[in-house]
Amino acid sequence: MYLTSRLPRLYVRTAQFLGTSTSRFNSNAGAVEERIEIPNRIQRSPTDILNALASTVGRDPTAPHYKYHDDPYLIPMSNVGKRTFAMSQEAGRKAAKYIRDEHRDVFMHQEAQPPIEAFAPKMIFTEDSEVNTDTLHLLIRNSQVTDAVIVYNLLKQKGVEISNDSKQEILELICFYNNEEPLPEELIEERWFKANADARERNRKTWKDGELAEQLFQELEPKTARSYAAIIRGMSKYFQAERAYALLQEATEKQFELDTQTFNAVISVSNFLKETADQRWELCRDLLQQMAHQQLRPNLGTLNAALEVVSTFGNFKLARSSALKVLAEFKQLGIEPSLGTYYYLLIIFCRDRAPVSHIIVDILHELKGREFTIQHPKDTFFFATAMDVCRNHLHDKTLARNVDELLHTGNNYDLIGDTYKEAVYYRHFFALLCQTEPIDEFMKVYDLLVPNVYIPEPGIMEEILKAVEMNGAVELMPRFWSDMVIFDHTNRESLLTRTLQILIDNPPNNDLPAHQSLPEQVGKIALDIYQKIADPEGRRPKDLQFSGKMIGDILALLVRSGNFEKANEVFTHIDKNQHRIPGTPSENCLQEYVNACIENKAPTQAIVCLQYAVENNMDAQPIAESINAGFTLNEVHLSKVKSLVGENLVGK
Amino acid sequence: MSLLTRLLERNLRNSGAGARRLYSNHAEEESSATKHEFADEEFRVLNLRSTSQATQQKRKVFKKEPVQPPRHQKMATDQDWSAVWPGPRTFQPSVVPLPLRQGYTEKGAPPPSKFANAELMKIPNFLHLTPPAIRQQCEALKKFCTPWPKGLETLENCEKRFPIEIKSTDYCHALPTIRNPEARRVTLNIKLSDLKFDAHAKDKFLRLVGDRYNPNTGILTIVADRCPLRKQNYDYAMYLLTACYHESFVTESWESSKSEADMEYYSFERNKSKQSAEAIINWGQPVEEAKKLNADHGFAQSVEQLINEGENVYNLGKYKEEVLKLLNISK
Repeated sequence: MYLTSRLPRLYVRTAQFLGTSTSRFNSNAGAVEERIEIPNRIQRSPTDILNALASTVGRDPTAPHYKYHDDPYLIPMSNVGKRTFAMSQEAGRKAAKYIRDEHRDVFMHQEAQPPIEAFAPKMIFTEDSEVNTDTLHLLIRNSQVTDAVIVYNLLKQKGVEISNDSKQEILELICFYNNEEPLPEELIEERWFKANADARERNRKTWKDGELAEQLFQELEPKTARSYAAIIRGMSKYFQAERAYALLQEATEKQFELDTQTFNAVISVSNFLKETADQRWELCRDLLQQMAHQQLRPNLGTLNAALEVVSTFGNFKLARSSALKVLAEFKQLGIEPSLGTYYYLLIIFCRDRAPVSHIIVDILHELKGREFTIQHPKDTFFFATAMDVCRNHLHDKTLARNVDELLHTGNNYDLIGDTYKEAVYYRHFFALLCQTEPIDEFMKVYDLLVPNVYIPEPGIMEEILKAVEMNGAVELMPRFWSDMVIFDHTNRESLLTRTLQILIDNPPNNDLPAHQSLPEQVGKIALDIYQKIADPEGRRPKDLQFSGKMIGDILALLVRSGNFEKANEVFTHIDKNQHRIPGTPSENCLQEYVNACIENKAPTQAIVCLQYAVENNMDAQPIAESINAGFTLNEVHLSKVKSLVGENLVGK
Repeated sequence: MSLLTRLLERNLRNSGAGARRLYSNHAEEESSATKHEFADEEFRVLNLRSTSQATQQKRKVFKKEPVQPPRHQKMATDQDWSAVWPGPRTFQPSVVPLPLRQGYTEKGAPPPSKFANAELMKIPNFLHLTPPAIRQQCEALKKFCTPWPKGLETLENCEKRFPIEIKSTDYCHALPTIRNPEARRVTLNIKLSDLKFDAHAKDKFLRLVGDRYNPNTGILTIVADRCPLRKQNYDYAMYLLTACYHESFVTESWESSKSEADMEYYSFERNKSKQSAEAIINWGQPVEEAKKLNADHGFAQSVEQLINEGENVYNLGKYKEEVLKLLNISK
């Protein structure tokens, strides 16, 4: 590859001319003309030019996400696929790290100048490692919790003097991580996955009581405000609310000056301390007053913590009024609300069992055109929740479009959160749009976002199909069917039934140009569905079963597309497997089949169909009549028909 | 159903033709002669001959996942190409919407298509530098640019105002190291006509500077790379220039011992040639000061020219003429 060979000598001609020319160096020492003004160099940071060039690159809707390989065979096309590919890539990285740490003697070389720390194997600390306080500081700075604890214990064992500052630092580290090793920062997908799994087990107390953090706290003499702050914040983070509150009271009694962040932490867990809304509100106000007493200035964290407490109130009237009061007071203090604040407002006001609130209109009006940066962990929840409100609470597509516009201004897209929240956002967006927009507009959005940004879940796919049904846009069906196959939705019975329903109810109109190739595509879809269920090729044999309606629809569609042999096959299948198919095909389907039999001159088949209809207590009369009219039956057939439906119907 | 099969199996077994497998009729006839006869139904017989057929059958049932068509088919004709190919990238056939073909084939066959075409992948492509992309990037970079100073429009003006020229090179390789020892080198160029000298100073300067001065172009070149940093080398080059310049104006005491052998130019008056020529002209004449003939001025000049400028046709011709004139030899 030419890139790895040495590039030819880049002759960057940095002709740095001298500033003002003195007469000694100037050959024409005569009249020195006007002074040459050289403008100053425009100051730029190391990455400004790269940022400027990056701003010229737009979005390519056909391209997969950057983390996937750009190859037709390697682009994931279903939600499961996307997650698997991303996690497996990280699993590969983890495997590489594991091998490097297992065979560390082979990986000791450092070829890069300056040396790359991340490529070197990790240090392991055993009982006889040479350590000192500098090592401890380095480990604390790199957030290596287990190693730091080992080194700390080693130092204590050796009797090395550890300053109070170091003890404070290690206390803070352990409180922050609850004495668990955090996942390395480069494993993004796994972190997201874990965070979402954790968030689902709502707020369980995970703080390790009586373990290392508290031991360290006890050992630390004398106790300072900072140490109290560290332990209180740690306990609040891991939901040990009572002890945190108790320690807070103890600290205030001992006249320690705590800081805003500590109070914020305790406020945010105060909903675990009291039961009813009023008590919680009382406690909250109490804490805020304590803060004021200690001359601590509240900040954005205080605002969001207070709103978090308010959002847990059951009494929605109290919640709404308190929220507004809090907001007003903090606005007076000059604290600018962040997206996290608005998120809390949305969940307070727009509840399921509360009257409809249009607060989001005001919020969007306020935020229009503004650019945000991340200021609080809950900022990333805003967009998904806003879209949820637009869809479920208000059902308004202009608001949704406004939210989308806000998301795409400047760098706000960074605040969409992780891939899971992005999927939730687009799920609500799609569901709303397919119900409120005409199908053409919706397809524009669909083309832009699917399948690279968002893949619809089966539920959303159903909504889309409902919209297609309402609009009668049957020419989109082949495309949606191929999408469903790719996204792996074809094992859902409801989706298959609905697809067939749409196809049956909307026969292609041969006059429209869009419908030219539609009949045979429709037939192909029906055949595809039949094959998926009838011979599943050993994949998932027993998940899907036909229902009578489904297979009747398949039969009729095959007949319409002119594929008579396959229709025969399907009907034979129906006939033989009557015990496995709940329900029966509708009469229209059977009628169409019989008509096809008549056209294709297959009286035996027609009679088998009649037999089936009679056996299943369906209205066989029209079928019998059409058979009679269509065929000139010989004796055998005639007698059979008579035996099935009786004499009188077979009259000429 | 399965009961029936079992019965059938038992019947076939008890028919005494030996163990057989029901699914491979072909193998039955083959294996019957070579296998032991088992009256016992409990033991299944290992039939190595027929396993190959079994695996063959299994191998046929392998279905591939459906693959998406390459994504260039989904691209609109008016899309933003700089969004698709923003930076230098190996040729990717599923992304480039052009029907390119490249490669040698025998007569009559079309060149290979772009898929899995190593020829297209090996060569550098410049799909990231389409004119619209360049225009966009230039627009984005304009805010970092300052206007060109007034009064420096022409090259002569630049050279007049800024006679010293400094050259240094930055390197970027696809290597794990960002350092390159060549990057510390600094080259300083100045035209000697921009510096003011008197005769002695110029001579001394040229001696100090040695072969850094190119007499054909009149440019003095100082290359500094003895210091580890570029700035240090730049300072050193400037120091050298200044020091030599000032030093050339200072006359040391030992310079007075400059002899004819040290002279940088040839002067007829001082040299043996004059004595020899006058000796030749005054040959045979009695030595009297007044009547001593001197060599011609033209002769003096031609000798000086010949020795100072080197031998070329013109100088030699002129010398010849002057010698003839001196010796009064007519053509």
